[in-house]
Amino acid sequence: MSLSGKRLSKRLEANVDEIKQRLGSSDDLIVKSMTGLQGWHGVLVYIDGLTDSTIIHHSILDFLMSENQASARNSVMSGSDTLHYIKETVLAAGEVTIIEDYDKLFLNLLSGVAILLLEDCEECLAIAAEGWKDRNVSEPTSQGVVRGPMEAFTENIRTNTALIRRKIKDPQLWLVGRSIGSVTQTNVAVMYLNEIAEKSLVDEVFRRLDKINIDGILESGYIEEFIQESSYSPFPTVYNTERPDTIAAGLLEGKVAILVDGTPFALLVPALFVQFFQSAEDYYQRADVSTLLRLLRYVSFLITMLAPSVYIAITTFHQEMLPTGLLINLAAQREGVPFPAFVEALLMEVTFEILREAGVRMPKTVGQAVSIVGTLVIGQAAVDAGIVSAVMVIIVSITAISSFVIPAVNISISVRMIRFGLMGLAASFGLFGILMGVILLVLHLNTLKSFGVPYMQSLAPFVWEDQKDTLFRFSWKNMRTRPLATGVRNLVRQKKATDLTK
Amino acid sequence: MAFLRKSLHICLALGLASLLLSGCWNRRELDDLAIQLGTSIDKIGNQYRVAVQVVIPGEVSVRTSSSGISPVTLYHATAPTVFEAFRKLTETSSRKIYSAHIRVLVLGESLAKEGIGEVLDMFSRNPEARTDFYLMVARNTTAMQVLKTITSLEKIPAENLFYALDTSAKTWAPTTTVSIEKLIEQLVTEGLSPVLTGVKVVGNAERGEELTNIQEIDPAARTRFVGLAVFRKDKLVGWLNEEQSRGYNYIMNNVKSSAGHLKCPKGGLITLETIRNTTHIKADIKGGKPVITVKLKNVSSVSDVECRIDLTKPETIKRLEKAAEERFVELMSSAVKHVKETYGFDIFGFGHQLFQAHPRAWEQRKDKWDEQFEQLEVKYEVDVQIHKIGTTRDSFLNYIKE
Repeated sequence: MSLSGKRLSKRLEANVDEIKQRLGSSDDLIVKSMTGLQGWHGVLVYIDGLTDSTIIHHSILDFLMSENQASARNSVMSGSDTLHYIKETVLAAGEVTIIEDYDKLFLNLLSGVAILLLEDCEECLAIAAEGWKDRNVSEPTSQGVVRGPMEAFTENIRTNTALIRRKIKDPQLWLVGRSIGSVTQTNVAVMYLNEIAEKSLVDEVFRRLDKINIDGILESGYIEEFIQESSYSPFPTVYNTERPDTIAAGLLEGKVAILVDGTPFALLVPALFVQFFQSAEDYYQRADVSTLLRLLRYVSFLITMLAPSVYIAITTFHQEMLPTGLLINLAAQREGVPFPAFVEALLMEVTFEILREAGVRMPKTVGQAVSIVGTLVIGQAAVDAGIVSAVMVIIVSITAISSFVIPAVNISISVRMIRFGLMGLAASFGLFGILMGVILLVLHLNTLKSFGVPYMQSLAPFVWEDQKDTLFRFSWKNMRTRPLATGVRNLVRQKKATDLTK
Repeated sequence: MAFLRKSLHICLALGLASLLLSGCWNRRELDDLAIQLGTSIDKIGNQYRVAVQVVIPGEVSVRTSSSGISPVTLYHATAPTVFEAFRKLTETSSRKIYSAHIRVLVLGESLAKEGIGEVLDMFSRNPEARTDFYLMVARNTTAMQVLKTITSLEKIPAENLFYALDTSAKTWAPTTTVSIEKLIEQLVTEGLSPVLTGVKVVGNAERGEELTNIQEIDPAARTRFVGLAVFRKDKLVGWLNEEQSRGYNYIMNNVKSSAGHLKCPKGGLITLETIRNTTHIKADIKGGKPVITVKLKNVSSVSDVECRIDLTKPETIKRLEKAAEERFVELMSSAVKHVKETYGFDIFGFGHQLFQAHPRAWEQRKDKWDEQFEQLEVKYEVDVQIHKIGTTRDSFLNYIKE
């Protein structure tokens, strides 16, 4: 694909032919030739749809065509002089640069820039005229809140960076761009607060980004997989969000944001385990309410991970642990169920996963039909038919509902995966197996790192100061320092305690 | 490649290890279990007859409507040892008897007379059993008969026995709950002999076995707790009546709440309800002789006035307290007197208290403790406080127009 720095030719026709040939004479390539009153001959090339027709017409064509009125120069100029003359005197468009080689020409052309080529000139003008149909900033779909900003990132990286800048009006908010993907040339922006984010962290982000060598980046997930430390862990070590306020909060804590053009999901590094259980809303609601909800999420996390396996373990190995009444009740429900509890659980869990996946992928119009079938099949019919016991339906339901409580979708998926492993262990070794599995899991979590920061930071290693925002969420008055993991460079957030009585 | 081979080796090792680990494989589905809730053991000749009451889950569950068959079924087998008898049950039972959830163990009177020690060993040795079940002795009937009686409020007769004894021990002084741990502890403690609550079937025992028993408002047969069985070490030697059982439980600090009546000065009765009760037994040596002091502290309330008495006067309350104190002393001393005279050995653990307070003195006396017990001086210090007289002050009985 590379044109190996081939330069523009002096002949206009050759240049136009080259462009046409390279693009395979694509239909959306517009080539408009024109002759100026002063005798120059030129061609305006742009891609239809990537450019704003208002800019093309009113800011470029209008001025080029009426260039003679603006100036009364008669002398015959060289091609290059004319180019500079047009750039400086004629055009009203804001961003105009001079390009000499095909590499840059195509990058600009395909980004929505209009190119003006002149006869007898080895340079051309790139006139910013980008403009295409964008989705409006809308409500976040995956991370909704009851209270808090109702805006989410869009597919346009400029809109997204602007959304962040609107929240942090500080010159220290630095933005460094990269273009990644040898074919897609996707714009990637790295944002951080210069005085707060640690230098080594920022450098590390760039080092990892620069190592990416792939033809195309279509979503931030590509970047995430390239820059994460452990590829073989079920747990995500890079945080992603579509909420500008979450990114802004992360930046204020000294984290680094990576925005990718073409996706509303931005990345935030380093990511800690506890971060995946924090919702943006935690910081907008009252502290006590938030703390309660946060603890509820951890409980839900444990339920999602352990409920089916503990049920299997207790009902097939440790019946003596159940109160007598409950045991008889469970036994009555199990009466006549043809499968062992493990198979029963597996059957229901897999059925539910299928339903959930179907619910995400299928067209919205058939959603209702599927949910009715789903509810009837796993809720009622399976029990009535004696395939599964009613209590198993309860277990599966509580597991499923709990998994939706976790605010970050990616960690909730990890837990769903781990759940199946634990169910297997529970079916073979009972509570002993579950315990072994959990111990392994804890060991694994403690080996993970995200951009050099221990994944379990503030729990293991335990950081006393950070407990204000780990399991609990203290009142804002009491959160006077940044988290130790990322904010050491500039630790203090509130220099003076807020005291209304004075 | 090396990595692959290494992980292959590890997987293989783990797989082999899992074969070894599966030695303690003990997986049982809930529907493979016959959940045993009640057990009875009788001695028939030289053999033990074990009967287990197994619940039929479908009949007890709320979800499935009752199909008119009994909620429990009884399996019984006779064998020279208890454990053999348990395994022999599978001759008639389709599932393995799951013994963890046993609620009551009913011991036959004949077995109790010959000694219960051998039987208990199996229950204390069983690794899977919960130890929160109660033991009782069948009186004037076989233990199996007790388990055969169908009950109504609790669908499962064993549960009925369990909760009936539990409730009664908490709110009524003459019964007491004994778990296997407590019983074994009492058996091996010096200077203390155990007691168990007795249970008997009242009414038409044979009709009690039929499901129609609970179709009536007043069932033809019921189980009832009657008195305490007195054991000399592990052998049943006799029974305490209600009064004596009450005295025993007050001395042993077993009473949580109870009720008892006093005579009013002008005739009629007044009932006091025990709200809190604590008893301490103190052992002393005075003049070379052991002296036991039973200190009872009781907080009561007036709950039933069936006589003319003026409760508004503090003196009346004082008088009632005094009368109650005398009544407690009478209860306890008559129990002690009866035991001294009839059985002549220590079921109250006075010897054990002496051992704890004066080990040396106990050491000298322990071989002749039975005789010593008969001569033992027991003092009573009773303190009764009446805190409440209910939601009305003076009884309306005083104001009924002539």
